[in-house]
Amino acid sequence: MAESCTGSELIAVLLSREVREGELSACGALSMIPAAGLLLAQATHAPKAELLMLGTPLMPFATSRQFHFLAMRGDLGLFFVSGVQIDRRGNYNLHMLGEDQDKPRVRFPGGYGGGMIYYAARRTVVFRTEHSRRALVEQVDFISAAGRTPPEVLRHGGPTKVITPMATLGFDAKAGVLGLESAHPPHTPGEVQERTGFHLGDLSGVPATPAPTEAELKALRGPVRLRMIEEGIYAEWARANLGGETAA
Amino acid sequence: MGVPYLPVVGLAGSDLAGRREDMRMAPDPFGGGFETIVVQALRPDVALFHGLRADRAGNVHFGYPSDNTLIAEASRRVIVTVEEVVDALSGEDRAGGFLPGILVDAVVPARHGAHPAACPGAYPVDDAHMIQYAESAASDEAFADYLRRTVFETADHQEYLDRFVPEGWGQAGQLPLREAGD
Repeated sequence: MAESCTGSELIAVLLSREVREGELSACGALSMIPAAGLLLAQATHAPKAELLMLGTPLMPFATSRQFHFLAMRGDLGLFFVSGVQIDRRGNYNLHMLGEDQDKPRVRFPGGYGGGMIYYAARRTVVFRTEHSRRALVEQVDFISAAGRTPPEVLRHGGPTKVITPMATLGFDAKAGVLGLESAHPPHTPGEVQERTGFHLGDLSGVPATPAPTEAELKALRGPVRLRMIEEGIYAEWARANLGGETAA
Repeated sequence: MGVPYLPVVGLAGSDLAGRREDMRMAPDPFGGGFETIVVQALRPDVALFHGLRADRAGNVHFGYPSDNTLIAEASRRVIVTVEEVVDALSGEDRAGGFLPGILVDAVVPARHGAHPAACPGAYPVDDAHMIQYAESAASDEAFADYLRRTVFETADHQEYLDRFVPEGWGQAGQLPLREAGD
């Protein structure tokens, strides 16, 4: 029986599984869950993963310009990004909501880094802490970065997955669409489809996401949490959101 | 920088690129067989910065790592306000966050000149003031009122300091770096 965990812990574990040994993986500023996921990977299956987190002590560059050029030359393996909306074609939106782009109903920070890194990183995994029809839509209100571009456009990579508290969606780069890769128990594929604003493809045979293992949760709530607190990587967040009363 | 345009790996097919006149798709002129977005350079008439220290030759030590140099290189005129002016910057001051005087047109001594934002190395963000600012920014009326109080009805920098900068602000000395770069 899998141990219970919070939505943030689940996403952190699922993100950590995307990190490959020896590769450079990164996340942007104000990215607590991805930071925990990156550190978890290093504490478990990818001890030699190189990590870069903007706005934390694990940022080797003096300014983000150097990070952007590093990404544009193709040296960034994996990036974690979030968006307000993600659509079926893998477009993500971090700009605005509303029918009329000239009169946004709500404005967001925009796509300063993400609009470039979405094309420059070899793999980008989009995460969203809310799985709903308003977050996962048929078409985003504003394309901050496009899931797919014509073959002549210089691009080192693109989106590979979308991870939410309910499911993992996989991006089919050939077809240019997202489909359901696995559902996180107790959620069923049917339930995931019900809460998603676009068609997820054939749901038959969609597997359950392997639950976080005891070892993953133990590492997340133990050494990863401790490292975040000691090294000042979202220390307050780690204290409040990892382990808590369930910590051993 | 000061170059006419730059290629960017990214933004292709985005609504940002689609809505802007200064971002276009262009083929690689060296025959690489690919296209990228190219962005037209911004050429500001004037760039304004605040730094920690400047000397009489116009050399500036920002006090924190910064891409400000890029903006200075792109702008026609550069004006820098600083916490203090010294005769000559030290070698240490010239390392990191340094803007050479050749790029600078004017230096203005203005203690607490970054307030309510931070001047890393001297003082942090004034959170209480920033909260007021953010609340004011929610409506045109409130923002006009904010501007009236802090700008239009404030005679000079000294009056601003007297009325809006907390007593003893930044006197604790060197403060930890905060929001370095951007």
